Amino acid sequence: MGAHNSRWRPLRNALLLLAPVLLVLLVAFVIPMVYIFALSLQNEEQQFSLGNYALFLHDSYYVGILWRTIKLSFYTVLACLVFGYPVAMFMAKASGRMRGVVTFLIIAPHLISVVIRNFGWVVILGNKGWINTTLMNLGIIDKPLKLLYNELGVVIGLTDAYIVYMVLALVTSLYAVDTSLYKAAGILGASSVRKFVSITLPLSLPGILAGSTLVFSLSMSAYVTPALMGGSAVKVLPVLTYENVMITLNWPLSAALSFLLLGSTYALVTIFTKLVETRRYKEVFSGA
Amino acid sequence: MRRIPWLGIITFIVLLFVISPLIVIIPTSFTDSNFLTFPPEGVSMRWYEKILDRPQFVDAFKYSLKLAVISAAAATVVGTIAALAISKFKFPGRKFISALLLSPLTVPAIIIGIAALIFFTRISIAGTFAGLLLAHILISIPYVVRLVLTGLSTYDYTLERAAYMLGANSMRVFWDITLPLVRPAVLSGFIFSFLTSFDNVTVSLFLVTPTSTTLPLAIFSYMKEILDPLVASISSVVILLSVVFIFLLEKVYGLDRLFGVNTQSHS
Repeated sequence: MGAHNSRWRPLRNALLLLAPVLLVLLVAFVIPMVYIFALSLQNEEQQFSLGNYALFLHDSYYVGILWRTIKLSFYTVLACLVFGYPVAMFMAKASGRMRGVVTFLIIAPHLISVVIRNFGWVVILGNKGWINTTLMNLGIIDKPLKLLYNELGVVIGLTDAYIVYMVLALVTSLYAVDTSLYKAAGILGASSVRKFVSITLPLSLPGILAGSTLVFSLSMSAYVTPALMGGSAVKVLPVLTYENVMITLNWPLSAALSFLLLGSTYALVTIFTKLVETRRYKEVFSGA
Repeated sequence: MRRIPWLGIITFIVLLFVISPLIVIIPTSFTDSNFLTFPPEGVSMRWYEKILDRPQFVDAFKYSLKLAVISAAAATVVGTIAALAISKFKFPGRKFISALLLSPLTVPAIIIGIAALIFFTRISIAGTFAGLLLAHILISIPYVVRLVLTGLSTYDYTLERAAYMLGANSMRVFWDITLPLVRPAVLSGFIFSFLTSFDNVTVSLFLVTPTSTTLPLAIFSYMKEILDPLVASISSVVILLSVVFIFLLEKVYGLDRLFGVNTQSHS
């Protein structure tokens, strides 16, 4: 009995302490997710049906929205990577103090509500905003450029919102690069381009992968930024889902849309990860 | 011939890019114009006075504050207790439980909000403060658990054993040994949860009612209808408040550690 008791007593004690947190998790997350999954598989007569999913996949309007969501998320990943990579490289080369300052300045804005940051973008990009006023005063343009309420506006807003994740994922892998590799390459006469292509880039691949998948997933499910900076012109899947939940009140379809969003994001991230990793193995083995 | 410091220049531009949307709001809030223009025209406090004419924003601010304080406190307490249990007791299924506690992070906020709305309607707590509170506690739990677990990873349990041997009871050990050692993690868990709740739009979106709404949602709904300098003055107040909390977080824990980057090593 003693041995039995000593194995299970920690579990009993732990469960007692875990009870409150598990209760919150069950009531606010696990049960609701299972519940809406079941709901997504029901038709109007509450019988099992894949009708909600079929409806989406057979409607070119819906598929077009999914495609636009994927496209804008892809552009956002690209923008975050192109602008985030030099920042991460700068941080990796900088002194400890400089590194701290840049880290703080890139994370801090992220802790302020996205609604407010999007409003700031309206002030900057709007027809009477900073950029258009400046360009018109300089006589470069005579009517305002359309920088907002289109796909460009959404990508700018999403890049602002998520570039921090890309930079942090990249620096984590760049900080781990052994600096003596650069010295060795330098002695062997490698140019800085060669050092970048042969050392920095391959060694930062895990960071690129982690940052890209994170930014992609976040962009796919973003609601606020497309709603405020894309307006009615740029409808994405989360906006469509919101309308079905709150305006059309078609909850079984909304539930299906939620899982289509989750499923398509997960599938694309998995495919992307597999592609990058296969290439990496090939490179390692062919290089050897 | 000096080389052009491209990396530094691009870093500066990117920092400007993420900070400028916040910076432009402050001068805009002091405009004397009826319209949203930048640069602002004239200087006045009228858009700050206008906030007080709109009780919906003042009410929403109080509602958000109440929600953020209660949900952060609750998430910190239950999350810290859970992290202590996971770290201390070697029970079967520990890995599964800690993965489960972090799992809300893997599901998009909008889907958490939709699932909560649909299920809460079923159990008749949709549109109540309790329902909204529950959802806000949920989204903060993973951060608290992760922070406290990280704090406990270097925790030396021999200190506890020593205290027990010296005759301390478990309450005494908790207050005098365990808590002081994990205090920075717990405190930053609280502040981060507060900001998470106070900033949240995507989950709240589905759980508020037109009469009792949170501040970010009140701003969001207003912005979708009207774009005037009133949004700038309210936003400036929120920015100021958030900046205080951000500096607090930086002092107590460090934003770099909070986001899992160590800036101190390798320099």
